[in-house]
Amino acid sequence: MNTVIDAHNISKIYNKQSIPIYAVNNVHLHIERGEFTALVGPSGSGKTTLLNLIGGLDTPDEGTISINGTEITALTPNQLIEFRLQNIGFVFQSFNLIPVLTAKENVEFIMQLQGLDKQMRAERIKNLFKQIGLEEKLDSRPSQLSGGQQQRVAVARALASKPQFVLADEPTANLDSKSAANLLDIMTLLNKEENMTFIFSTHDPRVIERARRVITLVDGKIASDTAQVNTNT
Amino acid sequence: MRSLVIILSVAVGLFAGIMILALYKGMMQGRIKTVIYAEAGHLQIHDSNFKKDYEPIFIIKDGDKKVAALKKYASIKALATRTITMGMLSTTTGSAGVQINGIQPNEERFVSQLNQKIKIGQGFNSKKHNQVFIGMKLAKKMKLNVGNKLVLTFTDTGSNMVAAAFRIAAVFESDNAPLDERNVYVLQGDLNEILGIGTQFHEIAIILKQDELLATTQEKMNKQFPDLLIENWENISPETYLMVETVNVTSYIIMCIILFALAFGIINTMLMAVLERTKEMGMMMALGMNKFKMFTLVLLETFFLTIAGMPVGLFASWLVINYYSIHGLNWERMGKELMSSFGFGTTIYPAYPTEKIVMTIVFVFITAILSCIYPAIKALQLNPVDSLRK
Repeated sequence: MNTVIDAHNISKIYNKQSIPIYAVNNVHLHIERGEFTALVGPSGSGKTTLLNLIGGLDTPDEGTISINGTEITALTPNQLIEFRLQNIGFVFQSFNLIPVLTAKENVEFIMQLQGLDKQMRAERIKNLFKQIGLEEKLDSRPSQLSGGQQQRVAVARALASKPQFVLADEPTANLDSKSAANLLDIMTLLNKEENMTFIFSTHDPRVIERARRVITLVDGKIASDTAQVNTNT
Repeated sequence: MRSLVIILSVAVGLFAGIMILALYKGMMQGRIKTVIYAEAGHLQIHDSNFKKDYEPIFIIKDGDKKVAALKKYASIKALATRTITMGMLSTTTGSAGVQINGIQPNEERFVSQLNQKIKIGQGFNSKKHNQVFIGMKLAKKMKLNVGNKLVLTFTDTGSNMVAAAFRIAAVFESDNAPLDERNVYVLQGDLNEILGIGTQFHEIAIILKQDELLATTQEKMNKQFPDLLIENWENISPETYLMVETVNVTSYIIMCIILFALAFGIINTMLMAVLERTKEMGMMMALGMNKFKMFTLVLLETFFLTIAGMPVGLFASWLVINYYSIHGLNWERMGKELMSSFGFGTTIYPAYPTEKIVMTIVFVFITAILSCIYPAIKALQLNPVDSLRK
């Protein structure tokens, strides 16, 4: 195992000028390759903010974050965008697929940003859609897919760039039980077979149940960090 | 829907721009055509001193020989000789200063098409003497009609005041009301007799076979008749030439106003496009789309929508212009008097401004691209975290 994410003393403070609010308060976090981690906690506990910080979407007011040995808190905004493109996969709660593109184009889009050639893109798309079980839906637009199918395409998009890890912000929040279970099966399989690191923020007990590590946040601080043995994984 | 709005904005902007240019081009072509084929001709020849004071003494010397020489020019389609003097038209109700043109109807019909402009009356009767054609505007002003008598007073070649009574044979009306008001036409023989210049004349008006032959023909004539004043229609009617230039500039100004409106349409729509897709764009930036690519995305979107709108605008304008270039746009109800007071006909035949199409397309493109810069900058200012939250 090697360290993928190494966050030291990170804090995110809002409203600094008047009454400071610590969305994330002095958090230390180490994530090793191949982990299947759930960030849990009540609403407003700082789960999404922490995900945004380690995903390089937001910058901490205090502390440093290193991804795979690169200190992302020292990168310029443009370097950070490029770093995200090459190293981090995102799955959002509301799927966020581009409505005018087909499922295949949504996944291909990120590889085009990376500058991959057509043949390599086609090969990767084929494998990804096989992994998520949507080979028949390549040319469907998001509006023609169910919520569960859209989220599976979003997972494929997150993996298309061959990231170091995938951050998923409440990925099952908008899914029914069957779709959520199906999505988690896929993610678990990818974690197991490809040693892909997944970090979820979630309220969903079904996700928590599958996680091998559960970090509980309360008021921006890590209240508990426990490893759990899971028969499903 | 949003894309359709931009496509339609570009199409309508281009259509309006081209229509304005086509209308102005048609108007100017019509005006120039009127100047050449109904008023001045392509070229006019005078004695070099004649135009200083329009003194009848300055006849074209050896006019007949010169006419014979001119008839050998392959580029000349028709010519007419005219005797011209300035005088006073008087009736019992009033008087007006006029230019008295002594013409030969058989020649004139091919040069100024005077016979086609007759609105009341039959024209000259070769058996009668002292007949006159007057313009409609002058007839109305002086309350005259066909058959009425009037007196023309002018000076002869000896600077003696002479006067003669003429009977109105016809009332004509051209597209140029001011010209109708200050010109009367009599038979050349009648006028020459009173002036005492025999068969001589003051002016040769020339119609060429093609407009393009003007410069070479004028140059040739200048060499052949160095003692005569040879002027083309631009020299004879400088106000028309000036009008063409002014209208040219005006058409550009109007086009700029249209493009300005188009720019606001595009800014508005593209801004809406950015604001409506905040989440989508935030997601793209989160996934790793850099600012340059985001800027290019908005720019390219506008570019392609402009490309899509252009053929629609070009085709629609071509279709409409093509129709009206044959059937004409009748402005008679809108302001016949206003149009004719500037020398324009009431029917305008728009002409496709082929020579300005490339420039118009370039202008529309530049406008579209410039207009999307502000929305593109707005897109760059999006914060992925905030955008994804929306």
